[in-house]
Amino acid sequence: MDAAFFVQLLLNGLVLGVIYALIAMGLSLIFGVLEIINFAHGEFYMLGAMAAYFAVERVHLGYWATIVAVTIGALCVGWVLYEALLARLAGSGFERSILVTLGLSMVLQNGAVFLFTTTPKMLQTADTYSNVTIGGARIALLRVLALGIGVVAYAGLHLMLHRTQVGRAMRGVAQNRDAALMVGIDPRAVSRLAVVVGIGLSGLAGAALAPVYAVHPLMGFAFVFKAFAIIIIGGLGNVSGAAVAALALGVLESVMGGFLPQVVVDALSFGAMILVLLVRPQGLFGRGVRV
Amino acid sequence: MSRSTGLATASALLLVALFAVPLVTRNEYLLALGVSFATFAVLSSGLNLVYGYSGLLSFAQVGFFGLGAYTAALLMTELQWSALPAVVAGGALAAVAGLVIGYSSLRLSRHAFAIVTLSFALLCGIVARDWVSLTRGSMGIPGLPVPTVGAWRIARPADFYWLLLGYSVLANTIIYALVTSRIGRAMRAIKLNEALAQSQGLDPLAHRLLAVTLSASLTGMAGGWFVFYLTIVDPSVFDFYYTETMLIMVILGGPGHFWGVLVSCAVLTVVPDLLRFTTDLRMVLYGAVLIVAMLVLPGGIGGWLDRRRVERWRRIAYGSPR
Amino acid sequence: MTAPLLEVRGLTKRYLGVAAVDDVSFAIDAGGIVGLIGPNGSGKSTTIDCLSGFQRADAGHWALDGKPLAGRPAHAVARAGLTRSFQTVRAYDELSLIENLRVAAQQSDGADWWQALLRTEPLRTHEAASRARALELLTTVGLERYADAPAAVLSYGQRKLLALAACMMSRPRLAIFDEPVAGVNPTMIRRIESVVRAFNASGTTLVIVEHNVDFILNLCDRVIVLESGRTIADGAPALIRSDPRVLAAYLGRSGAAAMLARGQA
Repeated sequence: MDAAFFVQLLLNGLVLGVIYALIAMGLSLIFGVLEIINFAHGEFYMLGAMAAYFAVERVHLGYWATIVAVTIGALCVGWVLYEALLARLAGSGFERSILVTLGLSMVLQNGAVFLFTTTPKMLQTADTYSNVTIGGARIALLRVLALGIGVVAYAGLHLMLHRTQVGRAMRGVAQNRDAALMVGIDPRAVSRLAVVVGIGLSGLAGAALAPVYAVHPLMGFAFVFKAFAIIIIGGLGNVSGAAVAALALGVLESVMGGFLPQVVVDALSFGAMILVLLVRPQGLFGRGVRV
Repeated sequence: MSRSTGLATASALLLVALFAVPLVTRNEYLLALGVSFATFAVLSSGLNLVYGYSGLLSFAQVGFFGLGAYTAALLMTELQWSALPAVVAGGALAAVAGLVIGYSSLRLSRHAFAIVTLSFALLCGIVARDWVSLTRGSMGIPGLPVPTVGAWRIARPADFYWLLLGYSVLANTIIYALVTSRIGRAMRAIKLNEALAQSQGLDPLAHRLLAVTLSASLTGMAGGWFVFYLTIVDPSVFDFYYTETMLIMVILGGPGHFWGVLVSCAVLTVVPDLLRFTTDLRMVLYGAVLIVAMLVLPGGIGGWLDRRRVERWRRIAYGSPR
Repeated sequence: MTAPLLEVRGLTKRYLGVAAVDDVSFAIDAGGIVGLIGPNGSGKSTTIDCLSGFQRADAGHWALDGKPLAGRPAHAVARAGLTRSFQTVRAYDELSLIENLRVAAQQSDGADWWQALLRTEPLRTHEAASRARALELLTTVGLERYADAPAAVLSYGQRKLLALAACMMSRPRLAIFDEPVAGVNPTMIRRIESVVRAFNASGTTLVIVEHNVDFILNLCDRVIVLESGRTIADGAPALIRSDPRVLAAYLGRSGAAAMLARGQA
């Protein structure tokens, strides 16, 4: 197998890993701060992609304008989601939260199928066929841009969690809710921000990848379960762990897809998750910042 | 005593009426509805046993359903087994899967348990779709042979109706016998207050494994009979649709309420069909109901009835509601 | 000399290097009521949790009637004849009082899974007997009026009585009550005291962990005192009442000295 092909697979894997990372990081953040597994998380990725499709096809926005617009929209949707739904579940017990988000996912997914049918839509822009050459391999420009966006988003999230007051507050709440309350951190405000950021990341991923993959109502569904496996592998609530596990998974799936049967590739994430649970149940990098 | 004999007589009469349906009508639509109800009655009672009575939010049920289905189909088509042994073998394999999954994941946190059971079901679907040499992939295995049980050739819609209804009654009777016995009482106790139950000599793991394994085998056998009815088995037997539907039936009826779940199963089988909903709209409706139920009525109708019972007792004990 | 009912040797439990229970040993003979007291952090709760199988001890052996219990899970310890109540009062809120008690008894009558499922004869007799015993215990604690009411209806003090009754359902050899009178009014304290005496009279040896030292000194024939994970005193209430080490543990050295000087011990 020649080097160029390998580089191709690697780069594709990185792009895939970046989507996984954006989705998984948001999921991990929401779990870490609110202890809610957001079943509907993939749907916001799908909605981001759908919104991008309509922004480009109907409103004729440019690439960057679409990215920004959809991300801002996703942040707002996150805000609404928290206030309308997730805020009411505070301290509610694990099953209620998981079932509410499951119900939400059913509504969004099937609603989208009902409104838009399952036919995939291709987002065509002027750049769709532009390529960039890296290390002998030709890779679509849009994929490189998506990769770049992902890296910037990760850097931004990392900065927020480790360098800002509110990010530290978020980590504090994830670590020990009661202690956080006692030092005056408002768990509502922190939870709201976690949801806003988490959903924003999902929507951003959708917008960045809409021109790369086909857009259809079930695209989130395919990713979200892998995202669950990823956050278990990385450690429930550990955002950086999720990012690393996501990138590794994306690259592995892409590279292995080059020579292993499809069933192994598809089952890889779940197999890895089971292995981690048997050997190191707290995840490869431990349970977030929780002891 | 008279209340439960009354209930028993009513159920017996209802059963007789249900079994008599194919004798009075040839309407295939009605019979298909009956088959659907019978199958979902097993699925939702099985989930009720695991979630409602044992407190385990498990998404693995559809995995057992499909596993039993594929096993039974493959045994009949590849090894020429007859129907009954094939279906029972499917149930046995599903039970083993349940035991393995249960034993390894019951030690994990509830979040991890939910995710693992979910992943198991997805993995089953992935294997069914991708392991083409075994399962023939997305095309599935069409043209399943007509099952025969003894001298009875099960070919007409009425036959399948009786078969699935009969199996559903059997499975639900087993579950009913279990949950009304002291074992069922122990399961509820473990769910309500695990530490207290342990201090009274009850072994949580043993009871949970029993629930998971039993419901896995009953669900697996339902899968076997169901795909013979469809005459084809394909990866769609693992669809998340089944999980969502059985979940909403249990939630609405009330987790831990045997009759409530059966009633909600009947209602949710018949009503959306009457309203001629397409699958997507039906799912949107279910999702909305799930959200509303979780926010407003988390114990389902059964839970609401229980709360009224508590309120009644509070009035007796203290003269006015607290 | 008959063998002790419960023999504990070298019980040790550490959290992150600090010994919560440090090489504790004692033996309890059948028949009496033993009190276990000590200031906060002395290791009383940890001791009970280890003995009853709810926490793993780091070292130590203990046996009930000669049957070793160290390292066995909580449900196995209960089935061996050692029951306990909890500091945070536990009950099955959705079940009726009778059901609460019947659950507590069901592992002790020897019926197996098949008999339970098929409801064959030995089981039916057991169930009838356990129902009768449940009513009897409810009458002892004064809750028979609420036999069919869901446990959620009970007040805090009534829940404590229910929890104590539940401990007795399986006719244990030894029952440990964890802070049975914490947070209840004086009338209820007296009621619980008489209930405890009644349980003891029916043949169960009792160990009572409490903060309410007067309650213990009135009720128990022997008192063990823990401090910082070690036994510092063990004997009759009269001796414990004036033991300077015990007073020092609760009141500090100067407080103890003041007490003794005023002759109030």
